[in-house]
Amino acid sequence: MSLSKSVTGSLLSAPTVLYMAVFFIVPSLILFAYSFWSAASYQVVPDFVLKNYLGSLTSPLFWKVTFNAISIGLWTATITLILAIPVAYYLVYVARSQTILYLILLTWFSSYLVRIYAWRTLLGTNGVLNTVLLQLGIIDHPVGAFLFSSFAVTITLVHIYLPFCILLVVASLSEIKRDLIDAARDLGTSSIGAFCKVIAPNAANGLIGAFMLTFILVAGDYVTPQMLGGSSGQTTGLLIADQFRKTGNWPLGAAQAFLMFLVSLAIYFALLTAGRMSGLVVHRPRKKKEA
Amino acid sequence: MKTIWSPEQIMQAAAMSRRSFLGGAAAVTGGLVAGPFLPNAAQAAASGDIQIMAWEGWELVDELKEWREKNNVSIEVSAMGNQDDVTNKFNMPNPPAFDAAEYNQGYSDLYIDVIKITKPLDKSKLPNYSADNLFDVFYDKPTWYRDGKLHGVPYAWGLNTIVYNPALMEKPTSYQDLLKPELKGKIVLVDDTLVTWPVAATLAGLGAKFPNLTKEEMAQTFEHLKQYRAQARLISLTYGDVVSLMVSGEVLACFAGWTGIPTETAKQGVKTEYTIPKEGAATWCDAWFMPPSVDNEETAYEFCNLAISPEVQAKIATRNAAGVVSSKAVELLPPETKALFDYSDVDGIFKSSPLLGIPPLESTEHATYADWVAAWNEFKAG
Repeated sequence: MSLSKSVTGSLLSAPTVLYMAVFFIVPSLILFAYSFWSAASYQVVPDFVLKNYLGSLTSPLFWKVTFNAISIGLWTATITLILAIPVAYYLVYVARSQTILYLILLTWFSSYLVRIYAWRTLLGTNGVLNTVLLQLGIIDHPVGAFLFSSFAVTITLVHIYLPFCILLVVASLSEIKRDLIDAARDLGTSSIGAFCKVIAPNAANGLIGAFMLTFILVAGDYVTPQMLGGSSGQTTGLLIADQFRKTGNWPLGAAQAFLMFLVSLAIYFALLTAGRMSGLVVHRPRKKKEA
Repeated sequence: MKTIWSPEQIMQAAAMSRRSFLGGAAAVTGGLVAGPFLPNAAQAAASGDIQIMAWEGWELVDELKEWREKNNVSIEVSAMGNQDDVTNKFNMPNPPAFDAAEYNQGYSDLYIDVIKITKPLDKSKLPNYSADNLFDVFYDKPTWYRDGKLHGVPYAWGLNTIVYNPALMEKPTSYQDLLKPELKGKIVLVDDTLVTWPVAATLAGLGAKFPNLTKEEMAQTFEHLKQYRAQARLISLTYGDVVSLMVSGEVLACFAGWTGIPTETAKQGVKTEYTIPKEGAATWCDAWFMPPSVDNEETAYEFCNLAISPEVQAKIATRNAAGVVSSKAVELLPPETKALFDYSDVDGIFKSSPLLGIPPLESTEHATYADWVAAWNEFKAG
C-alpha cells in the first residue's frame, strides 16, 4: 500500500507542525492576548485596552530605541550579506571545499559572551587595534571611540552572524546550476553580468531570506549593543525585556514585542518591493497543474 | 467589576506545577521503593539537594563545605546578575524549583506584600537568628517582618560608593570630582537602580525624600544625573563587568560601585580602592528568603541558619569585603575586613545612611517604580 503525497507530507511534517503549534503559535497567541491586557503592581488585569499599543506608538523612547535597533540591524545585515556572497560563491562554484566551510563555522564553537569580551580586548583603549595603530604611527594617542560605539557593535555583530549568513547564502546558491552561469558566459556576459543577470535573480529570495534572518536576529539582540555600544546600546529588545523583568508589565512588553514584529514585517515587504522594482527579484507565478 | 489576576492565578487552574508533579512523583516512587525501610516518623534533617539563587561570590558553597560533606548536601546555584533576575523567576506563573534566594531590602514590600513570593519563617528553626547574635538593626525589624512573622533572614550588608584607581587618579572627595575634564570617558555608571537612584537623588538635593519623589522631582534627579552620563564611558550591566573594565584600564572610577570591587580587581593584580565622598554612600542589606514552594525545607532552614552563624559570617564578609550582621562575627574578622566599617556604631551607620526601599508601586502623589524605570531607560538611551 502506498500513501498519497499529501498524506506522506502530512505525516512527515506532523511532528514539526505539532511542536511549532504548542511551543510557538500557542504562546504567541497568549502573548498577543496579553498585549491588550493591563498591569498594575506586577499583577495582570485581563481586560481589553489599547493603551499598550498607543502608549508605545506615541513614546519618543520607543521610537528612539527602535530606530537604533533597526539601524544596527540594517547595517549589520547589509555588511554581513555583502561579505557572505563572495565567500559563498567561492564555496559553491570554485572550491567546493567542505573544509573551508567547517573552518568558517569553527568560530561558532566559542561562546557568544567570550566573543564579545574578545572584541573588547581588541578594540579597547589599551587593546590590540590601538596598540598596532600607535606602533605604526597612524595615531598618536589611543582612540576611545573604537569601543562602546556603534562601530564596535556592528563589527562584533558582523563577526557573530557572518558564518550564519554564509550558510544561508551557500544554501541559496547551491540551487543554481553551474550550467546556467556557463551559458550566460558563452553568450558574452561578463562575470559580474552573470552574477547580476543569472545568480542574483535566481538567488534573490534566498539572499533576502539571509538578509532578513540576520536583520531579525541582530535587531532583537540587546546584549551585544549594551555591552559594546555604550550610550548607543539601548535597543527595543532591552526595553521589552525591562517590561518583563523590572516592572512586571507583561502586557506592555507583549505589545512592544508585536510592534517590533510588525516593524520587521514592514522592512521585509519594503525590501521585497524594492527588489522587484529594481528587477533583482523576479516574481514567478506558480504554474497551474495541467488537467 | 474588574478581576485582578496574578500570573499564578491565571496558570493555576490550567497547569499542575512542575514542582508539584516532580515532588508528587518522587514521593510516590520514594514511598513505593523505600517505604518499608523507613521509621514511622521521619526525622527532619539536612540532606539532599537545595537550589538557591545568589549573587556570585555569596552562594556559600565553599564556606559550608564541611556541613555539605557531613550531611551529604549539594547546593545548586543560579547566579543573579541583578535583583530583577529573582523577581522575574519567582513571579512567573510556574516558578522554578528554588529553596532559597537572596533579596535586597529595597524589594521587601514587593516580595512580601505584593507578589507574595516569601514564606513566613519559623524562627525556632533558625537558632542563630537571635538578639544575642545579630546587631539590633537586623533583628526583628519591619523590613523583614510582617504580621509577627519573619520573611527574610538578613545576611550581609555594605555600601555602594565611589571606587577608583589610586594609581591613575586623585582620590575623589566628592561625586563632583568625577566630573573633572581629565576623567571624561573614564568613569562608569552601573545599571543597578537600587543604589544609583538614591545616590542620584542625593546629588540632586532630594536624598532625604527618596524614594517618595514627585514626578517633577524625579525628572530633576535625572536631569542632574545627565552630567555624569555625559562623563561616563558606559553604563555597565554588572559589577563583574565593572571589575573587568577597571582591570583593563578602560575606566578609572565607578560611580556608586560595590565595595567588593577592590577585592576582585586585586585578584587580577590591579589595585583599586573605595572612598566615601562627602555626599555619603548608599547602604544595602541582602537577606535570604524561602519561597512558599520550598522543596527541601529542612535543609534550606539549616542553610539560612548557618549563613548567619558567626564563623560563616566572618568568612563570607572577608571574601566579599562586606559587613557582617552577626555581632559575634566581628571578633573573628581579619583586621582589614574589620576596619571596613565602624562596628562600634552600626546603628549610627544606618541612621545616617538608612536602608531604602524602591519607589512606590502605585501612587497618585509620587512617581511610581514604573515611572522611575521608564525615566531610567530614557536616561540610558541618552
